[in-house]
Amino acid sequence: MKLTDYITPRHVKLGLEGVGKADVIEELVGILVDTGDVTDADTIYDAVMKREGEGSTGLEKGVAIPHAKSDAVKRLSIVVGISRDGIDFDSQDGKPAHLFFLMVAPTSESGPHVQAIAKIVKLIKFDKFRDRLVKAKKPQDVVDLIFRVENGDEEG
Amino acid sequence: MSHPFAKILLYIDGSEPSITAAQFAIVMAKTFGSALTAIYAVNENLLSELLGAKVFVQMEKMDYERSLEDDGKRYLNYVVKLGEKKGVKVATILRKGVVHEEVIKEVADGGYDLLVQGELGEVLSLRDSFYEEGERILRKVGCAVLVVRGKDRVERSFSEL
Repeated sequence: MKLTDYITPRHVKLGLEGVGKADVIEELVGILVDTGDVTDADTIYDAVMKREGEGSTGLEKGVAIPHAKSDAVKRLSIVVGISRDGIDFDSQDGKPAHLFFLMVAPTSESGPHVQAIAKIVKLIKFDKFRDRLVKAKKPQDVVDLIFRVENGDEEG
Repeated sequence: MSHPFAKILLYIDGSEPSITAAQFAIVMAKTFGSALTAIYAVNENLLSELLGAKVFVQMEKMDYERSLEDDGKRYLNYVVKLGEKKGVKVATILRKGVVHEEVIKEVADGGYDLLVQGELGEVLSLRDSFYEEGERILRKVGCAVLVVRGKDRVERSFSEL
């Protein structure tokens, strides 16, 4: 599976405006509504927040991967949100999160969902990749960078 | 030895190429009178890695594991039904663990003559190739391997069988 089959410039938001976890998740879900990937934003928001209630998906090094399974989406949907200032997301290292990968998949698509999460986890290990994502100037830059690193044209 | 393909193992992962491989394996089993077994392995190793990375919580990992197991049963049942349509009995094996290791172990333990698998996914980078299960099976399995390509042609052979 290729992440860029799911992430287009419309699935990327630079300069997130939210100031806390709930705000950011609402903002990210809003992008899925804008792209037409979902119509029932409340169901997705509730599913993601429920998952956050079981343990924060704020990882280390400024990355968060909020996710959930919900039949309110027809296929795996991914949104990338970026905040240069960083947002408190109850991360494991206690530091603000700058990169957000929201992922929602239908209950019948666990395989692609797990593969996509694993792929993102692999890519975000590269310091340079994370830095360049945070500094991206436009959504297309984010998609292009993910594409190049995923294709092995560039190391992270 | 009656023929070189007396025992065939089919590796499926639920992808479209693996279903095409299933059709071809059924055509072969019917043509040669081979015993056909289909194997699906839940990638428990990957789930454990995501748990270790704290992307998943324990309950969630178990939930995904069940879900992937259900997917596996569904895919295996689908292959059994495909076989029934053509009068070919398909035995099934569902495993959990490191996918390529489970398949390679089954080939060794079961004494298969041939492993049939679908066309390999696009390897996006050298780094990816180290993680691609189909690729690892192909490189390490201890029997002949048939990688099935040409979906249209296979579908034609299957429907004409």
